[in-house]
Amino acid sequence: MRPEIKEYNYDWLMGRTLKAAAALGRGTEKEARAAFEYMPYFRGVASSFLREGEAGRIFLELLAQNYDNILTAHGRGKKLVATTFCKSPVIFFAADMVPVTFEILTAIGGLVWQRGMFEYMDFCCEAGMTETSCSSQRGAMGAYLAGLGERIDLVVCDTPGVCDTNATAFAFTAAYLGIPFFQLNYPSSIGDARSQNYHAADYMELVRFLEEHSGKPLDFERLSGLLSEVERQDYLTAELEDLMALVPSPVPPIYSLMLYAGRFCFAGDAIFTRLLSSMLESAQENARKGKPGVPQERLRMFTCYIDHYTVDINFWHYLEDRGIAHIGSILSRNFRDNNAYCADLPGSCYSIDTSSKEAMLESIAQMDARLPMVRSIRGPYDQPGMWLAETLALAKRYRADCIVYNGTPGCRNTWGMVKPFARELEKHGFPVHIMYDDAFDDRVESWEATRERLDEFFQVRGLL
Amino acid sequence: MKQQCAMALLQDAASRIDPPAVMRWRDEGRPVLGTTCSFVPAEILYAAGVLPIRLRGLAARGSSIGDAYFGPFICSFPKCLLELAGSGSFRFLDGVVITPGCDAMRRLHECWRKAGEDIPGIVPGFFHYFDVPHKTEGHGFSWFIDEMKVLVEKMSSHFNVKITDEDLSSAISLYDEGRRLYETLEGFLLEDGPRLSGTEVLASAIAGSVLPREDYNQLMRQAVEEAMSRPPADECLIRLVVAGSVDDTLDLFRLIESRGKALVVGETLCFGSRFASNSIQASEDPLRGIAGHYLVSSTCPRMFGGYAERLHRLLDLVRSRRADGVILQNIRFCDMHGSENGLMARDLKRMGIPALRIEREYGPLADTGRINLRVDAFLEQIAAKRLTIKRVESTASAASRAAAEV
Repeated sequence: MRPEIKEYNYDWLMGRTLKAAAALGRGTEKEARAAFEYMPYFRGVASSFLREGEAGRIFLELLAQNYDNILTAHGRGKKLVATTFCKSPVIFFAADMVPVTFEILTAIGGLVWQRGMFEYMDFCCEAGMTETSCSSQRGAMGAYLAGLGERIDLVVCDTPGVCDTNATAFAFTAAYLGIPFFQLNYPSSIGDARSQNYHAADYMELVRFLEEHSGKPLDFERLSGLLSEVERQDYLTAELEDLMALVPSPVPPIYSLMLYAGRFCFAGDAIFTRLLSSMLESAQENARKGKPGVPQERLRMFTCYIDHYTVDINFWHYLEDRGIAHIGSILSRNFRDNNAYCADLPGSCYSIDTSSKEAMLESIAQMDARLPMVRSIRGPYDQPGMWLAETLALAKRYRADCIVYNGTPGCRNTWGMVKPFARELEKHGFPVHIMYDDAFDDRVESWEATRERLDEFFQVRGLL
Repeated sequence: MKQQCAMALLQDAASRIDPPAVMRWRDEGRPVLGTTCSFVPAEILYAAGVLPIRLRGLAARGSSIGDAYFGPFICSFPKCLLELAGSGSFRFLDGVVITPGCDAMRRLHECWRKAGEDIPGIVPGFFHYFDVPHKTEGHGFSWFIDEMKVLVEKMSSHFNVKITDEDLSSAISLYDEGRRLYETLEGFLLEDGPRLSGTEVLASAIAGSVLPREDYNQLMRQAVEEAMSRPPADECLIRLVVAGSVDDTLDLFRLIESRGKALVVGETLCFGSRFASNSIQASEDPLRGIAGHYLVSSTCPRMFGGYAERLHRLLDLVRSRRADGVILQNIRFCDMHGSENGLMARDLKRMGIPALRIEREYGPLADTGRINLRVDAFLEQIAAKRLTIKRVESTASAASRAAAEV
């Protein structure tokens, strides 16, 4: 890592940047314009969110709040727990801990920083990780390994059985920093009694681990409050998802990103409820007016894996420019049992019951087991409830014109099967494009090349 | 004749995907079942009268079939297995058991099946996914036991056999005998003057993953006798331990030892001592004993969070074998071993133990020249270190002599 990069504490750098951006939303337009003069790199991203109105402003506040929580955790006597995006933060909030979600922080860094997260990603390789490891962890993780962020106290991941590269990154972090490690482990099936019991037993171990390290018993009253807030959030999410099924979709593409980033950072927290309420209100307003979420909807795209997060939110601007409605990804659905698509995927959904301690733990264990990736790439992709069934159910229900796979070269799991998977989707009538870029690292393929290939796909397949 | 050839026969078995003994077993009408990982309990298969053979990709000469189903960012080992499956080289198998040893290997399950839709006849009649958990205790252990029970049930039904506890106990005894013989053979590497090479010892371990166990034990008994009859060499070779990714070929070990400068005195490979040694602890319930051996004593980095324990075991091996250095190798895209190798290289170097980290491709050593060069340089470093230590020791001893004279 270059010495000049080491001069700056990464958490403070990001935290202050996002706090300033969030503050812009509270000022006048003139003030914002004046401030943009001084932020040549970040203004494109900040102004994109601010253009989304109240929802965009809340989203910036949410990101700033996330960093504020991290930066002030130790001062407030809370422990920082490194974790992954496919692990719900609710249990950490209940244990009075602050989650540090590597993938989210890498995506934020990639969005706001013109030079991307490359220096930090590469530091992980300096520290000993393979260069073929997943970039989604390596970004923010590099800063923490280099000692440029707040001190991480413990590591909890839930990807063993789901994603080796992810789990390896977290195991590596714990070993490198010499801190406690816990893994939730998932079997290859979902929805059957055996795997449900496994989830519950595993979760009890997690609770014991958290209690040991927080030094206090889990606060079930707090957990109950958090789960009740999740109830509200799930309801709002379902409403928003229903709107996405309309043609044209009244939901702007960037809402997908805001929805899942908000959920991964703040499930159970009121700020995410505020964000969802605002997004829903705006989308409902669009629907009432018959106004699409993109200037003119020409195509409906389902991203069967993740989206693209590198500099200047290029991908999201591209969707708007081309008139492509983003109708969700593996990240954006919450799989609550009363959602419409759950009828097509028996066993893949969860419910919430706060009537007793046992019921709460069972609810949260089953909810975690249905987070992205954990839910659908844990077993053979064509088995019941797995990736193929999920993708087909969602693509059909949301009337996708095409399906796009995007990930990172580090995703050994999906690259191990994406070719036959894509072929099967094609057999079901969906044109499929496999992107060979890296969602977090433009050095693998420049955005310009990625854009060309997307354009070529849409053109060759007669979609645009 | 047999007495003289045991070591050569073991090497032959280790170098072919279809050794004659396996074909004989098949010709006698007995089923042969391929496994993809050292987590599959061979004893269960053997107890059912089925020959378990660990699948190897060593005969693959390309990856056009492998590349058609797997994506580009995938380790070459499962691609080579699929290549062989797709080209019909595994048609002699009656079944396959695939495990989630790692993400790339578990996706072999889908890729093989999908290739079977395009190339008829390459998917054996028994095709089973054996779901190995990442936890060794409590519900993880119970899950593994249940998986073994499911395997027993499915095999019993498919091959129309009954697997009793007695059958399992006999199979455990038979496999344990092979493990003890392997440990005896491996013990020769402790000697200063090597009677046999690390390549020969690895070959004996690999052979144990494919040969019918009675044949294997017989060959191993002869191999031990052969080794004992060899005179100890008086060469002072650099003693190395090899750790890391799957290695089912003898090429890397041969390359390390071929210059006559080094001896591989130990390894932690899943085709090597991880599978071939450590007897199963006696248990009233044979399945629990088997689970204890295969799951609990595993040293694979897929059991996330066990780094300190694995480092400790590696250090024990380095010390007990008096190794001068460690070669940490991984196949490209094997992040589990690759990243753990990074930690191990850091920690070994901190302890003053020379460590070389190599990333390589699986298969016929495509990058022999590069690896040769790096291994040579590593050996030179160790030799220079040895020389320095020798000089320091001789200076110290001369000084103490002089002091005594004064």
